[in-house]
Amino acid sequence: MNAIVRDASARAERLGGAPIASPMPILSIAELSVRFGSIAAIEALSLSIRRGEFVSLLGPSGCGKSTLLKAIAGLVQPSGGRIDRPYADLRSSFMFQKPLLLPWRTALGNVLLPVEIQRGGNAVDSSDQRNAERMLDLVQLGDFASAYPQQLSGGMQQRVALARALMSDPDILLLDEPFGALDELTREVLNEELIRIWQSRETRLSTVLMVTHSIPEAVAMSDRVVVLSNRPAGLVEDIAVGGARPRTLEEPGCAAVIRHIRELVRRRA
Amino acid sequence: MIVRALPPLAFGLALIVAWQVLVVLAHIPEYLLPSPTAIFATVDRSLVMQFGVTFAEAVIGFIIASVLAFAIATLFVRFHTLEEGLFPIAIAVKTTPIVAIAPLLVIWLGTGWWSKIAAAILICFFPVLVNTVKGLKAADVEYRELFETLGASSGQEFRKLRVPYCLPYLFSALKISSSLAVVGAIVGEFVGATQGLGYLIIISSAHLETATLFSAIIAAAFAGIAMFYAIGFAERRLIFWSSGGAE
Repeated sequence: MNAIVRDASARAERLGGAPIASPMPILSIAELSVRFGSIAAIEALSLSIRRGEFVSLLGPSGCGKSTLLKAIAGLVQPSGGRIDRPYADLRSSFMFQKPLLLPWRTALGNVLLPVEIQRGGNAVDSSDQRNAERMLDLVQLGDFASAYPQQLSGGMQQRVALARALMSDPDILLLDEPFGALDELTREVLNEELIRIWQSRETRLSTVLMVTHSIPEAVAMSDRVVVLSNRPAGLVEDIAVGGARPRTLEEPGCAAVIRHIRELVRRRA
Repeated sequence: MIVRALPPLAFGLALIVAWQVLVVLAHIPEYLLPSPTAIFATVDRSLVMQFGVTFAEAVIGFIIASVLAFAIATLFVRFHTLEEGLFPIAIAVKTTPIVAIAPLLVIWLGTGWWSKIAAAILICFFPVLVNTVKGLKAADVEYRELFETLGASSGQEFRKLRVPYCLPYLFSALKISSSLAVVGAIVGEFVGATQGLGYLIIISSAHLETATLFSAIIAAAFAGIAMFYAIGFAERRLIFWSSGGAE
């Protein structure tokens, strides 16, 4: 019952197309440290994510931001500190930089993978099938359900990966430089798609945590940009960005934030 | 497909004609080099039967070896200690020439089918084992992380990721071992048999029936080629996503 109420309130928050973050954190990270042998990847990092937020983790390549995301997803064990998720019933999905599609499965088959795994056996029913088709429609690949990954472009493959991530109907989407391997133009289009899906009411998705190393991308998309220091990753500044999406970088607010972040990063480089 | 097969067919035919002409014009005695027509004349029901025996031994050995090797590779990947302990022994057995082991197999299993099947198993087993172990480990770490984030059990990861990922590796090993299976069966027959192409080769060479020897050799080659192409055909059907890049 609770989930339904929260769900409804999350929807309500999004009226007007710009989700407004609710004050309650759905993810709180306290004094988190991750070490690989003698190398510290993350050092005493604290951060909390509220429901409905779109947060970017920004930092140079190899600064440990991906490690942070993987620690949140449970792929990496923290060596100190805590990651709390007050609402245990909230699902999260992870999306990687590479599409990681199974080449022997069609686009639809790939989108169905999370459900198959959830169900244990291969017993996928017709409602799952319809649901997967709906997810492909959502990422605008409805006509490519029976195409194999190698027949799709890089951008289309990443769309399938997004549909697969949405298939388990997550509240939180953890994105590890999701479009980082794509060309600039495709990347821009897919970023807009992601915002559209986040804003749409067709999925339960309310909160996005995205790792990126592109300042303009982070500023154009997020409610908050969390700037991380170079290895070990620690918090440099947590910057709120205002304004409804889709945003253009020419807006004076955006331009100022971009300048500010550039200075921050440069001072530390 | 047909167009591609034309040049080798034409060249092969030309070679046979040249051979025939050479033997007839140079009066080469049949026990040294029989003419193609003389070889063809020795093709009878008995040859087909001997072919059938050897082919069946090879196929049965190949199938048993492949299933066994896949099962053991699975255990090796699951239980690393097993791999560490048994792999060196497996390699030691593999490097022992099959010709050296075959007499022992005949002593243990008799002159019937089983000693030949065992020889085929021994020779087919290792390529499949080595490649399957490699293939089952070949899936990228990132794919395994994906399955982990999806909450997959290790069994699900095995069935839905590792096994399909391994298929190209498995099939390139199967292609190698399919023709080796025929070698194993024939070596087994050399040592002690009352039928099969290996037996026919030994007998006809002892009696200087060179034309029969030739037809037995050609039949043996045909057995290996048939198995190789059958596996290749299955491979193209089954592994449509890979162009056979794995070795």
